[in-house]
This record gives sequence, C-alpha cells and structure tokens, in this order.
Amino acid sequence: MTGDRSEWEPKIVGFLCNWCSYAGADLAGQSRLEYPPNVKIIRVPCSGRVNPLFVLKCLSSGVDGVLISGCHTGDCHYSEGNFHARRRFTILRKLFEYLGIDPKRFQMAWVSASEADKWAKLVKGLVEEIRQAGPNKLGHR
Amino acid sequence: MSEELKNKAKELLTNKKVDLIIGYQRAADGVLAAPCFIDSQDDAEKLIWDSYCVYNLASYLKDFPAKRKGIVVKVCDLKSITVLLQENQVKREELLIIAASCPGVIDEKRLNPLDQQAQEIVFAGKCKTCKTITPAYYDILINEPQKNDKLSEIGQDEYEPVRKLEAKSIEERFKFWESEFSRCIRCYACRQICPLCYCPKCVAEQITPGYFSKGVNLEGNLSWNITRAMHLAGRCIDCGECERACPVGIPLRDINKKIEKEIKELFKYEAGLSVEQKPLLSCFDKSDPEDFIK
Ligand code: SF4
Ligand code: SF4
Repeated sequence: MTGDRSEWEPKIVGFLCNWCSYAGADLAGQSRLEYPPNVKIIRVPCSGRVNPLFVLKCLSSGVDGVLISGCHTGDCHYSEGNFHARRRFTILRKLFEYLGIDPKRFQMAWVSASEADKWAKLVKGLVEEIRQAGPNKLGHR
Repeated sequence: MSEELKNKAKELLTNKKVDLIIGYQRAADGVLAAPCFIDSQDDAEKLIWDSYCVYNLASYLKDFPAKRKGIVVKVCDLKSITVLLQENQVKREELLIIAASCPGVIDEKRLNPLDQQAQEIVFAGKCKTCKTITPAYYDILINEPQKNDKLSEIGQDEYEPVRKLEAKSIEERFKFWESEFSRCIRCYACRQICPLCYCPKCVAEQITPGYFSKGVNLEGNLSWNITRAMHLAGRCIDCGECERACPVGIPLRDINKKIEKEIKELFKYEAGLSVEQKPLLSCFDKSDPEDFIK
C-alpha cells in the first residue's frame, strides 16, 4: 500500500454468496452496468460461511473495506445461513465500533440474483464511503 | 469456618459418591487461595472457603474426563458450567456440584499481601455489581453465613466502564485500545484460564491458514483480542478470569461486558442462564435487527 493519498484507491474485498449476490454481480456485468472496479470478489457458498476471521484477515492485511453480501433473509439457499451471518456480524460490527475501528470499513448487504442495479449502486456508495474513511492503517503491509 | 464443606467432602469421598473434589486450599503465601484436587478423606481437611477463592474452577473439569467430579462453585462459576453443559463439554452425571453461598471475592490485583491485617478487603469489580446470590441448581448447598450482604450496591451500573468508553469519539477509542493492546505480549494467559476456551487447537496457533500474525504487533494483538472476544460472544458469563490473569493489565472485562451488553439489547440474550438454552450464535430470530445491512 502506498502512503500517497493522491494515488490511493480504496481496496475492497467482497464476500459474495454463490446463489444470490454473486449472480447479481454477474448480471450487472452482463448488463454492462458501469461501476467502480475496487471490489475484489471472493465467492463463498453462503454469507453464513463467512468467518469473522476472514474479515479480520482482510483488514489486517491492508484491505480498506470488507463487504459481505448474501441473499435476502428468507431466500437463503440453505434456508438459514444468512440469519446466522446477520447475528454474528451485528456483534462484530458493534465490537469494531467500540474498539475504534471505523464501521464504514465493514459492511453487509442483501443483493438478490436479479438486483444488478442494486449491486452497482451499492458498490458506488461503498467506494465513496471507504474513500472518506481513507487508507486503512491497521494493515501491516 | 469451612467445616461444613470439609465434612461434606469427607462424606462424599468415603461413600465413594465422587472420585475427586475440585476445590480451594490455602496458597503457599498463607493468604491467597489455590485450586486443589482432593481424592482422599484426609486431604479434605485442606479445603477452604472464603473471599480469597477467586479462581474459576470450571476450567479444570476437562482435565478429568470420565471421572465423577465434585466441584466447589460460586454462583458466577456455576454459569460457566452451565455453558459447558449446553455445549456438551461435560456430562451432568459426572458432576456433583457443591454450591457455596458466595461472600464475594477479592480483587487480587489490588491486594497488598504484606499489609493483610490493616487492609479492608477490596472486592473484585464483578462482585460489586453481582445480582445473583443463590445458585440456579446444585447437588449440595453449603450455606456459609453471608459476610457481606451489602456487597452488590443496588443501583450500581455494571456497564459504567463500557458506557464511559462509548461516550468517547471513535478516534479516542482507537487510541485507547491501541495503547492497551500495545502491551499485550501474546502469552495467551487469558485463553488458558478461560473455562470456555477449550479448543484443542486454538486459531491463534493455527498455521494453515494462519489468520493473524503470531508476533507482537498492533495487527496481531488487535486481531487476537477481537478473536478471543468474538469466540466468547454469547458464552462469556463474566467470571473475569481473563482480566485477572492478564499480566499486563489489559481491561478485558470491558470488552466482554460490551458484547454482553449489546447482545442483551439486540437479542435479549444472556449467557449461561439455563442448560436448555441454545448458544447465541447457533440460533437466530427472524426478527433480529439489521439496521446496518444495506
Ligand atoms: S480463542 Fe477461540 S479458538 Fe482459541 S481457544 Fe478460545 S475459543 Fe478456541
Ligand atoms: S493475557 Fe493479556 S497479555 Fe496475555 S495474551 Fe491475553 S491479553 Fe495479551
């Protein structure tokens, strides 16, 4: 990561569930929607698969923001994975805030396979928010 | 003073009701208490019960599998046994719970052993706001007279330290925790003492994949402390042992209490209330809040 603010571009990691959000992002691409290229997508079977350690690993490796995106509640391919994720990450986010880590750096969204527009808008907004938060100083490299 | 306890212990061992009893004995310094494992009648004489019995003995249960264990517990320690039972880590039929009514325990860190007589007991932070006096369940109740019924001062807010931190700005909070965590030497005493950190292999030692640095640096120390806190979310019953064991005085209870407070508010959940209760993170409610999710 360079220290130079002018060259700095937010680096964001997105954990997207295979069944909804990944397909939604795919649709955004197929539909030729334009949105910033800052999110590196990691496909996971379910938002419930994401371990808080994944988020920590990202933030401590110098990633500026982490997004977890899954199916809307009620639509989970495994019925309840996203309900579990919601509980878990609500707590993690509260803990981040308490420890002084900008909660903007950790976000969640529900994006279905047909919500290409929502995906594109979400990424635009996210990149702006992370830009405001600035480079993540937690990373060791 | 602990006669009733000694007699009960002798009786249990003679009648072979238990294979051993996990309790407290006077430490070598003559002041503090240390854990002891009693398996003969004669040894039962060693048992003590007073405000120096600080340790949470539930941590030792896993060391004696397939034995019928008697264990001396305070009300707060009993809650950690409740969580162990919820999580199938101990078998109820192997346990004989000897609940002793709790006089409140001392704050070891603020004790001056050289000045014993002169000094009034300083109670541990957790005791000052403890609301439970009677244990939820037990096999034997030792009813020592309550020394200090004014111990938990009604109206004292158990979350006061948490609220103070919450009131600061996010930058101030980061500075605060950065400086606290900068002292962490990654000795993992907080984990070793914790009755609920029983993983045979902790992620902190895991190499493939390694989630955070094993070295002493901000990244590793912060990640370790967040991981420990998250793994105890909805399980921690605030025995306060991690904070007591931490050699560099990091206020770990202030982190545990924060999570405890949040899950009470968000999910109406309190850890260690009953054996039947499901662990917080293995259940959910369809109407759980999700204000931050886009
Ligand atoms: S910190 Fe987590 S992984 Fe390590 S022993 Fe405790 S619960 Fe297990
Ligand atoms: S006991 Fe304290 S110094 Fe040791 S690992 Fe835990 S927080 Fe760090």
